[in-house]
Amino acid sequence: MQKAFQAWRVQRNVIVALMIRELTTRFGRENIGFLWVMAEPLLFATLVGVLYTYMIGEEEHGVSVIAFIASGYIPLTVMRNSFGRSVNIFAVNGALLYHRQVRVLDFVIVRFMIEMIGAMMAYLVIGTILALVGVFPVPAHIGYLLAGWFLYMLFVFSVCLVIAPASESSEALEKLIPVTVYVAIPLSGTFNMASWLTPAAREVVLYSPLVNGMEMMRYGLFGDAVRPYFNVFIPLGASAVVAIVGLAMCRRIRRTLVVE
Amino acid sequence: MISCINLTKNYRIGHSQKRVLKGIDLTIAPGDRVGLLGCNGAGKSTLIKLIGGVELPTSGKVLRDMTCSWPLGFHGGFQGSLTGYDNARFIARIYGRDYPTLRRFVEDFTELGRQLRMPVKTYSSGMRARLAFALSLAIEFDCYLIDEVILVGDKNFQEKCHFELFERRKDRAIVLASHSMDSIRTFCNRTVVLNDGYLSEYNDVDEGLSVYKAL
Repeated sequence: MQKAFQAWRVQRNVIVALMIRELTTRFGRENIGFLWVMAEPLLFATLVGVLYTYMIGEEEHGVSVIAFIASGYIPLTVMRNSFGRSVNIFAVNGALLYHRQVRVLDFVIVRFMIEMIGAMMAYLVIGTILALVGVFPVPAHIGYLLAGWFLYMLFVFSVCLVIAPASESSEALEKLIPVTVYVAIPLSGTFNMASWLTPAAREVVLYSPLVNGMEMMRYGLFGDAVRPYFNVFIPLGASAVVAIVGLAMCRRIRRTLVVE
Repeated sequence: MISCINLTKNYRIGHSQKRVLKGIDLTIAPGDRVGLLGCNGAGKSTLIKLIGGVELPTSGKVLRDMTCSWPLGFHGGFQGSLTGYDNARFIARIYGRDYPTLRRFVEDFTELGRQLRMPVKTYSSGMRARLAFALSLAIEFDCYLIDEVILVGDKNFQEKCHFELFERRKDRAIVLASHSMDSIRTFCNRTVVLNDGYLSEYNDVDEGLSVYKAL
């Protein structure tokens, strides 16, 4: 028991140290530093939201377009960035494996956490600003919003656990990921609710763990203004399966990893 | 005590496998000073990486009952884009050491002064060696894994290393991978010779050295 506690403390120290290291190498210490991490979702969500507002009007299906876009795009950036950052993650961090307490898993956790925390900050900032202007609702059910976010992120993290070791053995993967993410956008629930689709299409998208998470988030945000469809067991089950595969792959690749 | 039990290590070359280590057994007791000899490519660095846990063996086991440094050489252990201070802070964090104490030791030992504020990738190999040594000495391991090339520093540095590692920390174990007869004779009390993937142990330093010379 004490040993487990000690091990946990070591891992916590390692993760904190790696996070600080990652932030300093990526954003440096000048100007706004690590606040950059929320710049991209902030800018994109706002600009696309404004653009759509002019194209289709302020409201669609009874909800504010700009709020709808922002709430969908921010989780999407986490998915896209953390997938991209998981590629070759073991090779680029190889020098740190000289320290035995640093585990390959820590690299994946750290990069994912940075993306996720940055996005949560961006969400909070965008939400607050837009709410002050009056185009963003106060979350109707904060619990659903957080639970949906958690499920969405859980699945994204599980997939990162597969991408990281797979990219080590396959170079094609690196080229395929950006395309795959774009193709997957309809299956991420970013730009529409399942209830806006035909019943047949809805049935298909509801197999996507991301859509289930997104539907929960939207319900948490807009409340009864939207009609959500979700089943928490789809993201939970899918994440469990993908994560187990990923962890097994990480373990296997660590044995053959060549560190300079 | 650190025990290597029947270690083998394969590396993949294209579609075939090359077996670099073919079954190594080695025990390092506290206070042992092991000189590791072998020609270029014999697998000295590979063995040191396995002992240090940087890479994992294809089969076999490494049991560590004492703390063991990371392999000290020009590669690894540092993030080149970060400054000397940042690396020191990182290492203090992951080993759970007090940063101000570690920092003071590093400043004294390395004598790098303002260079510590520069990214490590701008350092010369001698400067890297100073930093690597300072950090591993500050953490106080029971066993130090050293690639000899790193001992090439200037006279002042060599004297310091000698004092810190071989006088002040006499009780620690050392594994020194080396080609130099002199440093093995000065620093080690036993030798092991790696040849063709196998290891032979010699409790007499000169015997090991003559075997190595004959390779």
